[in-house]
Amino acid sequence: MTTYQFFTTAWTWNSLVLILIVLAFVAYFVAFGQRGRPLYFGAAVAVFLLAFISPFSALADGYLFSAHMVQHILLVLIVPAFLLLSLPQSFSLRFPLNYLAHPLIGWVAGVGAMWLWHAPTLCNAAATSRMVSAIQTTSLLIMGSIFWWQVIAPRDEQRLSPLAGIVYLFTACTACSVLGIILTFAPVSICPVYQHPVDRLGMLSSIRGQWGLTSDRDQQIGGLLMWVPMCLIYVTAILAQLARWHSSPHPEQSNA
Amino acid sequence: MNGPTTIAMFQDAVLDPAKRAHYRLAWLSTVDHKRIAVLYMLTALVFFVIAGVEALFMRLQLAIPNNHFLAPDTFNQLFTMHGTTMIFLVVMPVTFGFVNYVLPLQIGARDMAFPRLNAFGFWCVPLGGILLHFSVLAGGAPAVGWFAYAPLSETPYAGWQGVDYWAIAIFVLGTGSISFAINVIATVLCLRAPGMTMRRLPLFTWINFVNAFIILAALPVLNAGLAMLLIDRQLEGHFFLPAHGGSAVLWQHIFWAFGHPEVYILALPAFGMVSEIIPVFSRKPIFGYEFVAASSVAIAVLSMGVWGHHMFTVGMGRPLDVFFAISSMLIAIPTGVKVLNWTATMLGGRIRFQVPMLFCIAFLIQFLIAGITGISHAIVPLDWQTKNSYFLVAHFHFVAVGAIVFAVLGGIQYWFPKMSGRMLSESLGKWTFWLMVIGFNLTFVIQHFLGLVGMPRRIYTYPDLPNWGWMNMLSTSGVFFMSASALVLVWNLAVSFFRGKIAGDNPWDAWTLEWATSSPPPHENFYALPPIRGRRPLWDIAHPDRPDTIVGPNTADVTLPDHNKTGILAFIFSEAGFFGILILSYLYFYAHPQPGPGPHGLDLKRTLLFSVCLFVSSFTFWRSEIALRHKRRGSMLGWLIFTIALGAVFLVGQVGEYWKLFQSGVEVSTNLFATAFFTLTGFHGLHVFIGLVALLIFLWLAWQGDFASGHGSAFEAAGYYWHFVDIVWVFVLFTVYILPLFQ
Repeated sequence: MTTYQFFTTAWTWNSLVLILIVLAFVAYFVAFGQRGRPLYFGAAVAVFLLAFISPFSALADGYLFSAHMVQHILLVLIVPAFLLLSLPQSFSLRFPLNYLAHPLIGWVAGVGAMWLWHAPTLCNAAATSRMVSAIQTTSLLIMGSIFWWQVIAPRDEQRLSPLAGIVYLFTACTACSVLGIILTFAPVSICPVYQHPVDRLGMLSSIRGQWGLTSDRDQQIGGLLMWVPMCLIYVTAILAQLARWHSSPHPEQSNA
Repeated sequence: MNGPTTIAMFQDAVLDPAKRAHYRLAWLSTVDHKRIAVLYMLTALVFFVIAGVEALFMRLQLAIPNNHFLAPDTFNQLFTMHGTTMIFLVVMPVTFGFVNYVLPLQIGARDMAFPRLNAFGFWCVPLGGILLHFSVLAGGAPAVGWFAYAPLSETPYAGWQGVDYWAIAIFVLGTGSISFAINVIATVLCLRAPGMTMRRLPLFTWINFVNAFIILAALPVLNAGLAMLLIDRQLEGHFFLPAHGGSAVLWQHIFWAFGHPEVYILALPAFGMVSEIIPVFSRKPIFGYEFVAASSVAIAVLSMGVWGHHMFTVGMGRPLDVFFAISSMLIAIPTGVKVLNWTATMLGGRIRFQVPMLFCIAFLIQFLIAGITGISHAIVPLDWQTKNSYFLVAHFHFVAVGAIVFAVLGGIQYWFPKMSGRMLSESLGKWTFWLMVIGFNLTFVIQHFLGLVGMPRRIYTYPDLPNWGWMNMLSTSGVFFMSASALVLVWNLAVSFFRGKIAGDNPWDAWTLEWATSSPPPHENFYALPPIRGRRPLWDIAHPDRPDTIVGPNTADVTLPDHNKTGILAFIFSEAGFFGILILSYLYFYAHPQPGPGPHGLDLKRTLLFSVCLFVSSFTFWRSEIALRHKRRGSMLGWLIFTIALGAVFLVGQVGEYWKLFQSGVEVSTNLFATAFFTLTGFHGLHVFIGLVALLIFLWLAWQGDFASGHGSAFEAAGYYWHFVDIVWVFVLFTVYILPLFQ
């Protein structure tokens, strides 16, 4: 298959996905009605689809570790962030979920989502078994949501104070960068499945030849994606914390 | 002599500050932040002269082609010493001096949070400087560049002791810098005056607060690298020796992971000075305070992830090149934001072209050029062409001199009246300024072109190629202007100190709190503080009819964090970086196994047993804390003794393991595994040992009756450290002992 053919045909639309999307939107409107922010919810769904039905998904499915990493980042950091942003202001966590709203748990969930699924055994299993892959997807979304709750929970009092939020984000960024550095410089394959892909789509020769992505280089790019662009997401969040800090609360109200 | 009498005399003469003030030694034993600041700056001035003379000699050697004024090896020693001295013994101490003087005043504090630690940090500078320069007497100065690339810096290629002295000196200086950063963080967080909320901090204070975090993150990385280099050199380790499986590129990664943040460690204080001076001399508040403040944070975070652009010529492979190119370009955004803010502050202002402002204007122009040539190095193919040429030399001198030194000179002119009570001469200041502008640009502008026509850096002489001769001569001629400028500056400082115009409290009509006290300030800094409602308290006093808008809520009722705990947490942050590098290096070599002993030879069960002792000691310490809180002295002492005993048992276990390994012929020099293993576990053991010493001191204090009131934040702070040492062992245990089980 040529590259052009691949990017035009490798979209995996199917009726199940479409039904699930419709159900998700229905559930969202039933739950929150007018109070929600459906644009953010739409963004979350759109990014989720990008991760799962676009050709990226086909590449992540056994071909390229780096494509898997893109998927991973989208699922841990982007989709949950949009999901939390789509929640109405009035939203609160009820028992027992409110126990998850602790900074330490949030931090461990966010960093753990990165580290845990890159243990070679788990990474391999997720790339070969549909079941494990589904578990992985679900867990990434949940862990990502727990992580982001500390920073972008619906109401201000549910979040960390801005300066604490910066420490939270910076340390998480560092912990993930360390993993990125390990993946980038590891001489052995972290996820051996990607070393010798099963060539289901007849794309392997294009990937290795035309795209120049050898398995070593592929893993290096995967590590770098976790190291650099993912950190930029955290940096963006840190700057957002600073903006929040400097903009609130209004002086006249509190200084009278 | 009679012991107790001696001690009494000693206490009488040295420890009582009121009596001590009369002694000539007062300056040597001082813990006053203002005096320490002056000591920092005077020390920097001495080394500035030394490093400047070194530069002068280098430029004389390079003035004409095929010159033999200096021998090649001497030239190498000179550029190594010049770079190392200028960075670690001039720019860092001088900026630390400014921060030490100005920062506590700007937040209305009496002193730094830890005055004795402050003195320690300062005395590391002369100690490091003497160690570094002692190498000249011990067989020759280091000749390996300030970056000390391995394997050139290793014993087979640099057999004399220069590099050892270099590494130990930098280690000492780095330790001093870390202690300074801890102090800054604790001071800003814990010692702010009522009303001085974090959002109202003057930009100089805020930027240096952020900078302290960069220091805490970056210097431990260098210290870890230096420790590894010293183990290679002194104990025949193999970390950076490719002949034995080591990695010379790893040294570069470690060095530049420190080295790039270091550029910002040097530059951010300069940004802070400019951010104070430009508004005052434009008679306008800074344009976009929030953007200047936030962009400093962005610079701090981004600076950690761009070091690869120093290594494009190493051959890291295309993926690394591409990612580092992009991240390096991004860091231009927050820096550009700052330049925009400074320029916009001047726009429409009633600019007073006095000497501090002149230096800032030159700073802006030269820093812009430095930034543009800097960005060009993010473009990989261009970088390949220019990295090892004089183009790069010109670039980083535009940063280091054109930006940083100019800002510092502006800062000297601006704050000297506060420190001495007398103004520096404005006319001599203008001489300094113009001589510096002419000299600096004569020297370094042409070097861009020298680099582009192909002159490589780090060479002691060059053939008589077309144009190279006159270009180098032009460059050398500028040095004389800069030297003259430095002489005028020293003359100005000396004359003005004795005969300058009396400054008064606020000669520049500035707005921050350091100008609200006398010049020089009294020992305790302030007799009374003005009300603080915004970022310019003195403006509010001078213009009660149109004060600044109030910034953020008043949080005077909020208790500030405890300085002991804050300090120890900052220290733990830096220690985590140190161990992080050691663990990552261990992993790197673990993934490249060498023949000889490996992790499989280690006794896991035995180690687990001793590890349990260490982990339990965290629990027993916690019990001791609870007992202290409930004022149960006996119980507290008991649990503390138990903690110390458990820690000691762990250490005995470690020593036993080492003994067994030595018995079976495994030493640091055996192979890379042994080098990495002994380094990682050895440094952890050393930290356990230091923790034990700290706990013993606390035991002694508690025995003497301290902490009787039931609250001891210092005790809890020591606990943080003890728990941290245990947590590090979790990681070490996993990396060294458990990871091999998964294969």
